[in-house]
Amino acid sequence: MKLDAELELWREQWQSSREAPVLTGLRKRVARESLYMRIMLMADVLVTVVIGGATLALAMRNPRPATIILAATTWLFITVAWIFGLSNRKDAWSPSASTTSAFLDLSIRRSRGNLRAITFGAILYAVEMTFCLSWVYHESGFLSSTLIIIITLITLLFAATLIWYRKRKLTDLTYLSNLQRDQSAAE
Amino acid sequence: MNLSTAASFEAADAEPVVEQQLNRLLTENGPALLRLAASYTNTTSDRDDLFQDIAIALWKALPRFRGESSERTFLFRVAHNRAIDYLRRHRAPTIPIDPDAPLRDSRLNPEAGLAQEQQGERLRQAIHRLPLPYRQVITLTLEEMSYSEIAAILGVTETNVGVRLNRARQLLRQLLENHK
Repeated sequence: MKLDAELELWREQWQSSREAPVLTGLRKRVARESLYMRIMLMADVLVTVVIGGATLALAMRNPRPATIILAATTWLFITVAWIFGLSNRKDAWSPSASTTSAFLDLSIRRSRGNLRAITFGAILYAVEMTFCLSWVYHESGFLSSTLIIIITLITLLFAATLIWYRKRKLTDLTYLSNLQRDQSAAE
Repeated sequence: MNLSTAASFEAADAEPVVEQQLNRLLTENGPALLRLAASYTNTTSDRDDLFQDIAIALWKALPRFRGESSERTFLFRVAHNRAIDYLRRHRAPTIPIDPDAPLRDSRLNPEAGLAQEQQGERLRQAIHRLPLPYRQVITLTLEEMSYSEIAAILGVTETNVGVRLNRARQLLRQLLENHK
């Protein structure tokens, strides 16, 4: 059999499936995904406004060294988090019409960025908690057992979430790297 | 609901131009995109899920399409990228070739009633067994894409497309021969 005839036959066989796709609820899904993306984008701004605004308001209403230190340190944390977030996402923009190979590269960069963000999040959380507890202790002279229990529970929950998320992202990265290796091996 | 009715998805506040463009693209290329989705998935419901994902990705990507490539190239780029993302999310195996595993008897598939459809079903099963880089190139070739279009979609050189296609054909021939 001639090669081109073979390909032609395969084309006919391949295209013999003329099934028309069924689309249901597409518009709802687009709206839902757009809303989710907006919420995710707004979350950072919301945290900045609520926490940063609250500490700033406290310092302005009651301008003592302790409240000013609280506001200044909170804004320092927020600034560091924003700088990290922006620099970490710098290379992870989405080229909608990029090639599959470029998209694979981008997905790997995003996965690595997510892993960096997890490490950064864990460190920032530890530093923030240390500062907050020190600040509360300095202000009230003691740490109540209720507060310690609450902080411990929050920390355990946060740690469990980070570990689960990190595991997921590591699996993603391994999968994508294998996919990229397969693509390179075919070259 | 079929595509023509569904694709008009009552877009009251959608961009009318984008909506029309998407409608047209899905009407013209719906079966091809469905075949593409099938080549990345194992079941009909997964295929349909992926097709929905592709349609959403197109909806979002179309406003940024500036005609740098043909519409069809753009469409298949978006579709392949979304399919890669689908594989990642579902941790789908990229299926190493196993020429010894039997192809399913397409005669058992009541949907594949006609001889050509049976052959088509057998071919699709064999293609599904190919490693992903070869599967991508052969499916795009079977959708009548040129080397340069395939290279532009996958981000490889035209020479590499040729190399992959040759290898894909060899593997495919071997699979089909082993299970005549």
